Parts: sequence; C-alpha cells; structure tokens
Amino acid sequence: MAISLNDIKQEKYPPMTETLHYRLPWQSSSVYPGAHPGQMVGAGQLFKRHEPLIASPDPRRIDLRASVLDPFSGYRVRVYQQQSVVNVYLLADLSASMGYADKQQTLIRFLLTAANSAFDYGDKFGFIGCTERIEHCRLLPAGQHLGRVTALAKQLQGLTFTDSANGLKNASAFLPAERSLVFLLSDCHFPLAQLRAVLGSLQGHDLIPLVLWNQDEYAALPNWGLISFQDMENHESRTLFMRPALRQKIMATYRQRQRELKNSFRAFGTEPLFITEPYSTQTVNRHLQQRLA
Amino acid sequence: MNLAVDTPWVLSGLLLTLLPLFNSGMRAGPAPWLSLIPADTLSVFIVCCLRLCAIAAIAGLVLGMAGLHRTEQSRERIGHGAHIVLLLDRSSSMDNSFAGRAPNGSDESKATAARRLLTDFVGHRQTDLIGVAEYSTSPLFVMPLTENKNAVQAAIAATATPALGFTHVSKGLGMAISFFEQQPVTGSRIVLLVSDGAAAIDHDSELKLREWFRKQQVRLYWIFLRTANSPGIFDQPEDSRDDNAQAMPELYLHKFFSGLGSPYQAYEAESPDALKQAIADINRLENLPMHYVEHIPKQDVSAACYGVAALLLLILLGAKFCEVKR
Repeated sequence: MAISLNDIKQEKYPPMTETLHYRLPWQSSSVYPGAHPGQMVGAGQLFKRHEPLIASPDPRRIDLRASVLDPFSGYRVRVYQQQSVVNVYLLADLSASMGYADKQQTLIRFLLTAANSAFDYGDKFGFIGCTERIEHCRLLPAGQHLGRVTALAKQLQGLTFTDSANGLKNASAFLPAERSLVFLLSDCHFPLAQLRAVLGSLQGHDLIPLVLWNQDEYAALPNWGLISFQDMENHESRTLFMRPALRQKIMATYRQRQRELKNSFRAFGTEPLFITEPYSTQTVNRHLQQRLA
Repeated sequence: MNLAVDTPWVLSGLLLTLLPLFNSGMRAGPAPWLSLIPADTLSVFIVCCLRLCAIAAIAGLVLGMAGLHRTEQSRERIGHGAHIVLLLDRSSSMDNSFAGRAPNGSDESKATAARRLLTDFVGHRQTDLIGVAEYSTSPLFVMPLTENKNAVQAAIAATATPALGFTHVSKGLGMAISFFEQQPVTGSRIVLLVSDGAAAIDHDSELKLREWFRKQQVRLYWIFLRTANSPGIFDQPEDSRDDNAQAMPELYLHKFFSGLGSPYQAYEAESPDALKQAIADINRLENLPMHYVEHIPKQDVSAACYGVAALLLLILLGAKFCEVKR
C-alpha cells in the first residue's frame, strides 16, 4: 500500500490536524523565544527572580516592595522566564525490520505529525534516519521548512528498508550539543547492549522512546500449523510447528523482551511507549502528558 | 543384497535429492527479528523429518525410474535331504489297478496311487532337490532338479494324462542319471524308479548305465508296482527255459540293478498300502546332511520405491495442507 502526499494532504491520513502536545519538564537553553520553559529571562509570564536595575534595565518592572526591603537600597527589578524554543529531533530506525507490516507507514505518519507539531510550537524539527550507518540523504538538519519534511516523507515512502540499525549509536554526533527533545522511533529489535550504547550516547538529550511493535509479530500467530519465517535483516529462515504451547511461549518471550526493554530504558531515566496497535496520535499524547505529571 | 539398476544414467537424478536442503518448499513470511522466537526442539525435529521425507521421496522416484532391482542370488544352505529324481513309468498298464483291471469306483489305478503318495512324499521333503523324469516309449524330460516343490507336485499331477505304450526303462534311467550331471555331489543322490513292469536292457545300454551309476554315485530305489498274478521281482523261474531276460524282464532287471555296485533297494508293492510303506521307508532312510545352493530370482524393487515415494509425497502433501497461509 502506497500513500501519496496528496493522500496526506487530503487528510486521508490525518496527521496534519493532530498535534503532539509535547511539553518539557526541563528548561530549554535556547535564546530564541518559543513555547517552552527556558533558562533565559525576558518577556514572559512566570516570575523568575529579582535582579538589580543595572542588570536588567527595565524600569517598568521595578518591584517597589523588594526595593524597599533591599538592605543595599538598590532597585530590584522583577525578571520573568522567557519561553524558549527547543530543537525537536526524530531519530528513526530505518532497519529492515521497520519495513514489517505497517511500521513504515507509522514512521511516516509520526514524522509528519511531529514535524507539524514542532512547527506549530515554533520549534525546529530535524530528522536522523539510521540504517547500517547514517546516510546524509536520510538526514534533515533542524529547521522549519515543512516542504523539506514532506519531501523526506515522500522519499521514505518509496524506500525499501534493508539494513540493520547499527547506525543508531552514532546518531548523537548529528545532534546539537545543547539539550534537545529527541523522539527515538524504533522497534528495538537489536541486542540490549546496543540499545544501552545508544541510550548512553543520547543522555545529554531529552529522549522519548517510542517502540513500534506489531501484533502480527507475536499475538496474531495461529494456534496450529506449520509456519515458516525469514528474518528480515539476516535472511535466516526457520520453520515452526505452531501449537498453543509454542504460541504462549512466543508471547511470553515478547512480554519478557518488553520487560527487559523497559528496564533498560528506565535505567537511563526514560519511559518507553510501546505502540503495538495501529498508530494514533492520542496514544502518544497521553504518554507525553503522563511524562509531565 | 545385490542391488542393481536398469538405466544407470537416470541415477544422476539423485543429485536432486540435495534440493530439499536448500529449499524448504514453504513460503516464508517475514519476521522482524527471529532471535525473539524461542528455539523449539519439536519444530526442528519435524522440519528435519520433512526434509528427510522430501529427500527420500525424490530418491525413491529416481531409483524407481532407474529400475532398481535385486540381482539373482544364490544362498548356500545346509539341510538334510537328498537329490531325488522321480522316474515314473508312463506305460499304459499303470492306468490299471493293482488287480490288473481298469479302475472302477472302489479301487484306484496304480498311477493314481503313485501320484497321491509321491505328492505327499514331495511335500515332506522340504529341503530336497527333486526332479521328475518319465519314460515309456522314450524318456520324457519333465522337471529338472529344483527346490520348487509346487513345480514338482504339478509335474507329478501332470502324469494324470493318459499313458503311452511301451516301457523303455534303460533310456529313462539314462535320462534320470543325466539330471545329476553338473550338480555338486552333496547329500545323497537317488533315482526313485516307480514302475509296474520291466523291460530287457540291451548290452550297450547296460555298459553305459553301469558306468553312469558309478560315476554319478547314484542310489537306486525301485518301487515295483506288482499287478496281481504277474511275475514279481524276486520270483525264480519255474522252468529253466524261461530263465532269460525276454521272458522274465523284472527278475533280470533286478539282477542287473543288484550288480551295479551302487546301493540299490527294491520294493515290491502289491497294494497302495505297500507302496505307501515303501515310500515312507525311503523318506526315513534318505536324510543325509546336504549342502545345497538356494537360488533367489531377480526381484524388482522399483515398485516398492514408487510406493515409498508415494507415501512420503502424501506425508509432504499433508504437511503442505498444514501450512499456515497468511
């Protein structure tokens, strides 16, 4: 199934209207005004601190009461926290396993949704697509051009994913030094050690891991019958004689894997969202809101 | 197990048996990460079995097409028994009863009695090689020495056809002895002559028979089916003028046999019971250890190959039906 950009624009796929309500539980260090709590002081609503008039020469903000109470008899000025922008990155796993079922479509939908949301907030949006290594054609530096995002989406649409996801651990080199918001979209079908390496390299950023799994991988297996599988990445194949016990065993393995992934993510201070059902922005939003609470 | 094939070049098709090693014959669905699917011994076992089935099915078809067969074989065996040639008299007098009349409902003919008892005799002698020869005007070659008892019994049954005229015993004996040529000397060799009369043997034949009996080490049993009121083997002539081979051929034949130098035993049977007794006697006596070679004919195995291949293909077809279609 191929979706065209026209389909996306005609809202067959609704990401254009949906917004990710991402809020930051930390303060952005960016100097540019935006929509998120920042470290800068300036035009804002939230009182931050008092400063001497000389440091913040804005007589409109002189706080008389604080000035009277100042033992050094200086003028105290109220300064407010400036809402700042934040760089939003989508770090996407483009390995072969991400071509399974509707994962590619989910990836593209999330890309467009996240980009639109970022632009709605006035933030910059960047994309890093990782396969075996990081290719420059799958790289979108942080910017505010929807056209480039849709062009990238179109490019991803026609792409057949083939490689592994080894490039993920090099992705931090393409992120800015300042703390950014990074969505990690992957199915995490690689060894936990690799995952830990990736998470370690991304510790300087605010990471929101989204784990894409599909019900067909494990839950939608038949109870009885012979079934043959071929690994999408290393092309190894295996035939299984399905029976209820084996099906339970596979599901238990996936549950165990989910626990292990959660533990790994939590060890690095992030809570992953497992997307096992068809993608919906509301699910992601709920997760983002829980994260703030 | 000497296996051979008719068309050896077809065996090159055996290379196809490697095919199942490379292709499972199943449509493989994509799996994102196979390491997450736990190892399953039963599945591995079933897959191995199916692969073996496929290999064996292909091999079976190829071997069937190549015409696999077992070559003719001979197996050496050791048993108790003898090489026996039944030499049957086919003179027309054999169709009379022991009383010398044409058989009616109550009594059977000499030939019938001989047939019945000899059939039993053959049935008891499982490990013997038995041949059948007949004689009347001239010797009749019926059945060479064989271990196939059914064939021998059928040959004996075939004597039920009406008999012929004369009694030419010397040629019959010559033929019976010729059966032993090119046969290994093992166990005992017996010519069982069943007749109801005798004939004079000319001088040349006498010499030859003497030589052959000596060379082939053949024992001779003569069951003389004596008709009532006819001269017997052991009857001495009352009149010295009758003391010649033409007048008393039975006596002179007996004398000739006695003087052959090889073991000889004569039985004079005047009734079916006496005949039975004589045959039982021989049955008991001739049980020397015998070394013989059993021949097993060429056996075609290709049908079995096709059968096995068909069975395996059925199994594979069943497995194909069990395949999950997604």
